[in-house]
Amino acid sequence: MTATLTTCPYCGTGCNFYLKADKTGRVTGVEPAGKHPTSRGQLCIKGWNAHAFVDHPERLTTPQIRQRGQLNAAGWETALDLVHEKLQGIAEKYGPDSLMFLSSAKVSNEENYLLMKLARAGFGTNNIDHCARLCHSSTVTGLVETLGSGAMTNSLSCFDETELIFVIGSNTTEQHPLIGSRILQAVQRGAKLIVADSRRIRLAKQADLHLRQQNGSDVALLNGMMRQILQDGLEDREFIASRTEGFSALEQSLDPFTPEHVSKITGLMPNQIVDAARLFGKTDKAMIVYAMGITQHSHGVDNVRAVSNLALLTGNLGRPGTGVNPLRGQNNVQGACDMGALPDVYSGYQKVADPVVREKFSKAWGCNLPESPGLMSTHAIEAAVEGKIRGMLILGENPMLSDANQAQVKQALENLDFLAVIDIFPTETAQLADVILPAACYAERDGTFTSTERRVQHGRKAVDPPGEAQADWQIVCQLLQRCGLQSDYADPAEIMTEIASLTPSYGGIAYDRLSDNGLQWPCPTSDHPGTPILHQDQCTRGKGLFSPVDYRPPKELPDADYPLLLNTGRSYFHWHTGSMTRRSHLLDREERSAFVEINPEDAKKYGFVERQQIRISSRRGSISCAAQLTGKVPVGQIFIPFHFAEGAANALTNNALDPESGIPEFKVCAVRIEPC
Amino acid sequence: MLKQLSRSDLEQLLEAVAKNYALQVPQLLADGTRQLGPYDNAELSLSGQPLQRKPTSYFFPQTELLLTLDAAGNVQQPPPAEKPLALFGMDRTDLAALTFLDQFFMAPPADDIYLHRRLNALLIGLTGDAGPDSSFLPLADDGCDIELIAINQKWLALGHSEAGKSLLRKFNDGDDKQLVTLRKASRDQPSDLLQQASQLLHDDLVPDAFWEEIADRCILCSGCNLACPTCSCFCLQDRQTPNGTERSRVWDSCQLDAFMREASGHNPLGTEALRTRRRIHHKLVADVERWGELGCVACGRCDRACPTGIGMFAVAEEMVERFGLRS
Amino acid sequence: MHQPARNQQSIYAPRPCRLLSVTELTPNEKLFRLQLCDKTELQHQPGQFVQISIPGLTEAPISVASSPTRKGYFELGIRKAGQLTSALHRLQAGAQIGIRGPFGRPFQLDALDGKALLLIAGGCGLAPLRSLIQYCQDRSDEFASVQIFYGARSPEDLMFQQDLSDWQSSHNFSCRYTVDNKPATSCFDGETGLITNLMNDIQVEAENCCAVIVGPPPMYHPVIASLRQLGLNKPKQIMLSLERQMRCGVGKCGHCSIEHLTCCCDGPIFWLEEVEHLRGAL
Repeated sequence: MTATLTTCPYCGTGCNFYLKADKTGRVTGVEPAGKHPTSRGQLCIKGWNAHAFVDHPERLTTPQIRQRGQLNAAGWETALDLVHEKLQGIAEKYGPDSLMFLSSAKVSNEENYLLMKLARAGFGTNNIDHCARLCHSSTVTGLVETLGSGAMTNSLSCFDETELIFVIGSNTTEQHPLIGSRILQAVQRGAKLIVADSRRIRLAKQADLHLRQQNGSDVALLNGMMRQILQDGLEDREFIASRTEGFSALEQSLDPFTPEHVSKITGLMPNQIVDAARLFGKTDKAMIVYAMGITQHSHGVDNVRAVSNLALLTGNLGRPGTGVNPLRGQNNVQGACDMGALPDVYSGYQKVADPVVREKFSKAWGCNLPESPGLMSTHAIEAAVEGKIRGMLILGENPMLSDANQAQVKQALENLDFLAVIDIFPTETAQLADVILPAACYAERDGTFTSTERRVQHGRKAVDPPGEAQADWQIVCQLLQRCGLQSDYADPAEIMTEIASLTPSYGGIAYDRLSDNGLQWPCPTSDHPGTPILHQDQCTRGKGLFSPVDYRPPKELPDADYPLLLNTGRSYFHWHTGSMTRRSHLLDREERSAFVEINPEDAKKYGFVERQQIRISSRRGSISCAAQLTGKVPVGQIFIPFHFAEGAANALTNNALDPESGIPEFKVCAVRIEPC
Repeated sequence: MLKQLSRSDLEQLLEAVAKNYALQVPQLLADGTRQLGPYDNAELSLSGQPLQRKPTSYFFPQTELLLTLDAAGNVQQPPPAEKPLALFGMDRTDLAALTFLDQFFMAPPADDIYLHRRLNALLIGLTGDAGPDSSFLPLADDGCDIELIAINQKWLALGHSEAGKSLLRKFNDGDDKQLVTLRKASRDQPSDLLQQASQLLHDDLVPDAFWEEIADRCILCSGCNLACPTCSCFCLQDRQTPNGTERSRVWDSCQLDAFMREASGHNPLGTEALRTRRRIHHKLVADVERWGELGCVACGRCDRACPTGIGMFAVAEEMVERFGLRS
Repeated sequence: MHQPARNQQSIYAPRPCRLLSVTELTPNEKLFRLQLCDKTELQHQPGQFVQISIPGLTEAPISVASSPTRKGYFELGIRKAGQLTSALHRLQAGAQIGIRGPFGRPFQLDALDGKALLLIAGGCGLAPLRSLIQYCQDRSDEFASVQIFYGARSPEDLMFQQDLSDWQSSHNFSCRYTVDNKPATSCFDGETGLITNLMNDIQVEAENCCAVIVGPPPMYHPVIASLRQLGLNKPKQIMLSLERQMRCGVGKCGHCSIEHLTCCCDGPIFWLEEVEHLRGAL
């Protein structure tokens, strides 16, 4: 029996636990880390079951190459040679920018760093991105503009001292359960809670105010609250004067957002908006918590700006118990962004367009680097349909289920000359690959992961990978080597040394410093203690910028043909495309197949009963799943989690993109429903 | 039989045990918690916080292979362990939990899978000045083969079973008077709070609305069940491998909707409130009815594992405060 | 600690068993006739259940639908509901499956001796009750009389239609059935309405009467009320079968517990007075 302390592979909360393994090298269970500041001896249901998929018999154990339509087992050298040769060939024939690299928020910082190095230095393209495009790209764009840093400003410990928590567009108890539980605990000790969410989520039951605004009307709600705060003189004049700029532009922009006007857009009562504004405005220490409900809109960046404006207006920044707190979804989505698995920045958000930065990386890596920013993943899909992207390497992502408008994604991937996929299970995306490379999962390799509170911490190897599977960093190293780049890293610690030398915010991160609960970036030097709270004396960009926004409706709203609004997201028991959780016995048993939440009133109107299979169609596709009658969703809205291939919500969703962040509008599209 | 052991005696004893058993000893892990782990690579942690992982998990692990089925339907059982287990470091509540679990799994028909691990296992309890900052832990006085009672950097050693006595034979005798004093100090009352809560539930004095309230604060992590040393619920899991179908049992939780949900969709525990009530009621009333004692040994693990503060003690306290007799 | 015999098979090890025949009962239910591969009898008693094992899909508890007085085979009437039962429905005669059991407390035959029996089933509850009905048929002298009442949702949901007419003509037997709803297009000419309608006008000597109920959960309360009306008010007059998700069959897994009872060991057959005060039992 061994016990290995590691970081949970699911959400971005960053819980730690011990993986228990038996003598035969099989993981057998999980025990929460008792003294870790995040887990504190506690886990959610996914954490308690995080061992369950590791030794699943469907794990990929050998490289596979497609020959005459069939995937056949192959040796590593052959498969890696082929991947390199094909990608190189496409780059030579059509130019490096005909390649696209998708990195992963599930792999370590070191692995993300290496893949971005492979794309930029190995193949000469900035076409690298990952699934943050689909979750918090709006945050990165919006908060970098207003505050200078696109991450959660405060720490999880702040929940223990705040006076009010405003949760907007985050089903925290289900999606970040150990943060949700802190919110519930805060309420128990007397903190106020405002929940703005069209669904009656668990937190709503404990809330002082539950605002069920129309999906996609957040800008109006937030602007309305800010206008009321100014009306009542509840703004933080001193903070505005000393710490911000652009206030008068904001003030003017808020004028039209009277409670009555906002009421019309949001569907709330005017007094609800006033009440929320007063409750929030009168509190000294308030935290704003948000997630996909804010970001996944065709105006996602505007939503983020509005959230940031509210925090600046009330001086809720740079102090304990306050802050703008976007909750990052995947266990290393923060790290994947930090490592520059993005088309426009190197690690530490250093811009590829900046010649000084480029020069630094060019020197360190010993090669020339491309100048112009690359394609976002969502645009790359469009480009692949048009034949402009011809080769793709996907590391641990499953766009066939996770991206909006599945039909278009399928068309794009099938249109490629060459697709290589590195993964742990034969996902829907891997099924389309020309080469599949089997990877080690979180329990089988070392690396660091950066949680939502910017905490860089260890993931540790507990058991050997199955069959011939290899750690992602080892796989990418072998591709780097084939590109003629330095790749003889002894271990991930050595990769981190290189990262630290090139990345100011990670400058003080080193393996031997992480053992005690990790370090929170920015951590610029080897003696820096890390930064639990950002923007304390001044914002990263200097002054906090008020960035006025106007309300824009979602791109597709219900109409006569498609009369219902479809909201999508995740359920508590499953994770994203289900490749891990649907192979975990207890989690699978809890929710075995696709379902749609529908309000009982709507169900009655259509004559649907509980568990009945119904057909849901949008302008882009049609699926069927079982009806679940619940008042959790409001009348006129249905909700479908996107985990299930057999009832894929993303066959329906609208790939209307935010013009700045390129995020699709997962939270709003129009559908119709009928009996199967 | 009472003996007294010095530190080097203790090490001798463990050395002797390790010859014939797969010995697990308390150790301080990297995150600051104490857990049992293999003797070979360990520095002993002889006092401190309660063991984080419930020691009963050695006999009823989170995932356990029951058998392998081949295509012809032949059944192959996993090979027995090379050496029986020896666990050192369980306190009184841990030992009480194991006694409870023994009773449960051995009730006819006996659970052979549990028994094969449990039989011939050696238990060495650790009480006395073995708590946090060497605070006093009450004596167990039973439920183990050997009980080591820490006092002044030494250990009184009580042999309860034949196997225990023979392992202790060669050591020096201990002072019986010391034992009498320690036993007196251990005679604290069984948790009055849990008894009161049990009575309230038994008398049906806790309204349904209370359970709805508690359930609203539950995030369904299942930690209370999985951390509990007397929880014994499991489900079966089949996995098809090249060697055949491996059928395992996996810890389950009565807090999950699918725990009792039938294929038809009908669910006798169909609401969160009913499931929350079951969690407490089962330990405080149903177990008393069936086994004559509380199913809760008051180890506190569920309270520590619960992210929202609704473990057994927290709920019992709230129940007694709100619905208890006001005198 | 007492030593279990080491050479014994595990209580979790299924025994191989051959599918002799499969008969369609309704669009959703089939009757499976099985025999243990070693050709021995199952040695069950009416009311007991077995765990059916299919590699890859674990197990499902199924009540035996035939009487031990019928030798050489045993039968299971199974509704297609979950993954395992759907897989069973795809099997054909000759296939091999695993079985554990028989498990559970059977119908209390001693207590039924010499009594006038009211055997009441709803939906697929007729399958377990059939084991008792067949037993009564084969030992008809041991009972004063046997009245069978059966309710199904619709004509096409009526199980064991051949048996129903056989039972109507058996010595000492009467058998009535009803459907909740009859589609306008149906040529069914039997009774419609709830099962309790069948029991309104019957004549019983309550003193010497014993009732057995096997049905879906919503059926228990109205049927029990009707029986009380008929004068069945004493202990040991009403026996019922409770359906729970038994996973292990041996009282260990916890999935079928009703307060302090485990349905798989203390039941599935209970006297009403043993469970009526327990929360969530009925």
